Amino acid sequence: MATILVSKRPVTDSAPPQSVVSSRRTRLLDLFDRHFRLITIAPAALLILSLTVAPVIELVRMAGARISFTNDGVQRTAALAENISRLANDWIYWRALLNTLAFVVTSTFAELVLGLMLALAAQRMTRGKGVVRTLMLMPILIPPVAIGNMWRLMYNPEFGIIAYVVDQIAGVRLDMLGSTSTALLAVIIVDVWHWTPFMFLILLAGLEGLPEEVIQASHVDGASSLQRLRFVVLPMLWPAIAIAFVFRSIGAFKVFDQIYLLTSGGPGVSTEVLSLYVFKVFFQSNELGYGALLSLVTIAIVCGYLAVFRIAQRRKGTL
Amino acid sequence: MTTLTRLLGSSALLASTLLASQVLSAEPITILINTSPWYGGFEALVEKYEADTGNKVNIDAVPLGGLLEKARNAVRGPSGEYDIINLSNAWAVEFYAGNYLTALTDIDPTFSFGDNIIDADGMLYWNKDRQWPTKDGGVPMAFSPNANTHLWYYRTDQIEKPPETWDDVLKTCQTKGDAANYSVVLRGARGNPIRFAFSTFMLSFGGSIEKDAPNGDFTVTFNSPEVKRALQLYIKLAKECGPPNPGSIDQGEMIQYIVAGKVKQAGIVVAAQAQMDDPEKSAVVGKIGYAVMPRPADGENKDVWGSWQMGIPANVSAGRKEAAMEFIKYFLTDEAQTYYAEAGGIPVSRTVLEGPLSEQEKFRWMKPYSQASLNAKQVLQYPEGAEIEQIIGLRLNQALIGELSVNEALNTAATEIHDVFVRSGRKTGLLPPLQ
Repeated sequence: MATILVSKRPVTDSAPPQSVVSSRRTRLLDLFDRHFRLITIAPAALLILSLTVAPVIELVRMAGARISFTNDGVQRTAALAENISRLANDWIYWRALLNTLAFVVTSTFAELVLGLMLALAAQRMTRGKGVVRTLMLMPILIPPVAIGNMWRLMYNPEFGIIAYVVDQIAGVRLDMLGSTSTALLAVIIVDVWHWTPFMFLILLAGLEGLPEEVIQASHVDGASSLQRLRFVVLPMLWPAIAIAFVFRSIGAFKVFDQIYLLTSGGPGVSTEVLSLYVFKVFFQSNELGYGALLSLVTIAIVCGYLAVFRIAQRRKGTL
Repeated sequence: MTTLTRLLGSSALLASTLLASQVLSAEPITILINTSPWYGGFEALVEKYEADTGNKVNIDAVPLGGLLEKARNAVRGPSGEYDIINLSNAWAVEFYAGNYLTALTDIDPTFSFGDNIIDADGMLYWNKDRQWPTKDGGVPMAFSPNANTHLWYYRTDQIEKPPETWDDVLKTCQTKGDAANYSVVLRGARGNPIRFAFSTFMLSFGGSIEKDAPNGDFTVTFNSPEVKRALQLYIKLAKECGPPNPGSIDQGEMIQYIVAGKVKQAGIVVAAQAQMDDPEKSAVVGKIGYAVMPRPADGENKDVWGSWQMGIPANVSAGRKEAAMEFIKYFLTDEAQTYYAEAGGIPVSRTVLEGPLSEQEKFRWMKPYSQASLNAKQVLQYPEGAEIEQIIGLRLNQALIGELSVNEALNTAATEIHDVFVRSGRKTGLLPPLQ
């Protein structure tokens, strides 16, 4: 039937012979078959690349300039060396980096431990597990602005409930946000309260997905509860733990709103973190070029942190 | 008169009324504003303006934190959505110098503020040649919905007469046995809060940040002996007379201390007065008196402006600019200013601030505020101001919490400010470091 249709077409001197057309079509089909995945993925990949790479390229361009706006348009002056020199001597940025690392490690670890403990406890519940899960969701659902204001009030040394309770117990007026020695701890506590439920939910899902027969077998073999946790449950749960840890680490690196509301980076620079400092340079000091450089360095630091974690996980064989 | 005649007559009347209303009423305008404590008064006045004139005004009220970026985005495009934008004095120069606002006299050449309107040390004007906000050779660029400076709030039931000097404040600090827990509370949080509050002390001791910025001399004077005396006093008052850990106290906490009856006195911006006599928010209703900020025994009463400026963006149509101008002229009338004050706003008309309204108990803050407005100065009126505020705000805070000595804080800040001026090509220099 196909032959008849082709033969009905007007034949011209320039038209290729039918065998050539057929082989070209076959080759195209072969090419399509061989690169099917690439061809179908390409539009989406291009879109994602244009949405992610293009802003980074613009950030790189900005990082090498001093930028000012006027009604006549954006004015850029080359200032890469100047910006790099500033960064090298910008002690607040490096202090913010240290604070951020302390914040990320401490809060994520605390959330992991608490989340795991809660998940283990909830897994054993025969009744009300759904209610617990719903209640645990609450802190995640509260807007960060409300959390910041709520905790700021609770920490208030004159009117806050925390200061009141500590005063009743120890006779000391505690001002956690006002002291350089306790301010970072205070914001870490808020983060742990806010995000432990996230860890709990991921780890509980992980625990519920573990093969029951393996745990039963260890029970039959006479393993104690602690041994079961140490040698059976935790190794099997490790992928879920790793995922939860990575997600929360990334979130903790980006912490901004609660610190902005609770301390704005003070007292002094005791709670200054990378996101907050970059925000101040960008939007308060209006230094777009230098702010872009800080953003790039921050992105590189986060990528480096994640790369180290991924290498460690590969060696462990869990990711 | 036949039915047809009546019908034709009515139609003609209706048509002419519609036509007239089209011609007379101004285009709708949209105002970008922050939800500060005086916002309620502004909103009430806008409603009155709509009722009085039939003109339509939309308000986009945003938290202070988001205002600057919204304003920047609104003026940088080819056409803007806002016809009036509210700007802090810390940002206004950026908008003036960038030609983002239209001079009010470009819209109405006959416009002038008059002598009774507070111009916040010339902040409403822009001198393009000198690139400086000043009435001298400048053109009116904005009006102020709240010029905003400090008042000294004090408990009339615990302090007989308002302190005239800082020494008087220190004396009250040493008096024990009063109901209030603390004698004085100061604003010590890092950044704008401490920079703004400390500026009053600095100016009253004759200190400054730079030598003569309006005339191009940016020699840094922030580590002068005058500024040192001011900072020593600030720290002494905060630590010896105020609540613990002053380095984290911002305006919200100061107001809380006052309205809860836990402190005898504080220097707070005028806009906070509205909360003092509100029985739902205050335990000290009728017990707060107002005065100008104290001065050094050998110095002058000085204060710093934290003024708000409302300007008309350049990127809106001529019709909308004229409509915005109509609102501005209305806002500045004494009748509107009086209504504004009654609704909780802070008027900028001295005629109103010193008129019959000021005799009422509710408005006892008006005369001290009018007096304070004569003492107040602007600081950091140049594009580097925002960056320098961050430097000063950090170093003062570090001195307050004991991370740096007074000398270290001021010397370090001076060096950092100097670096900023060098980078931006200013004529600058440094004083010898404090020893």
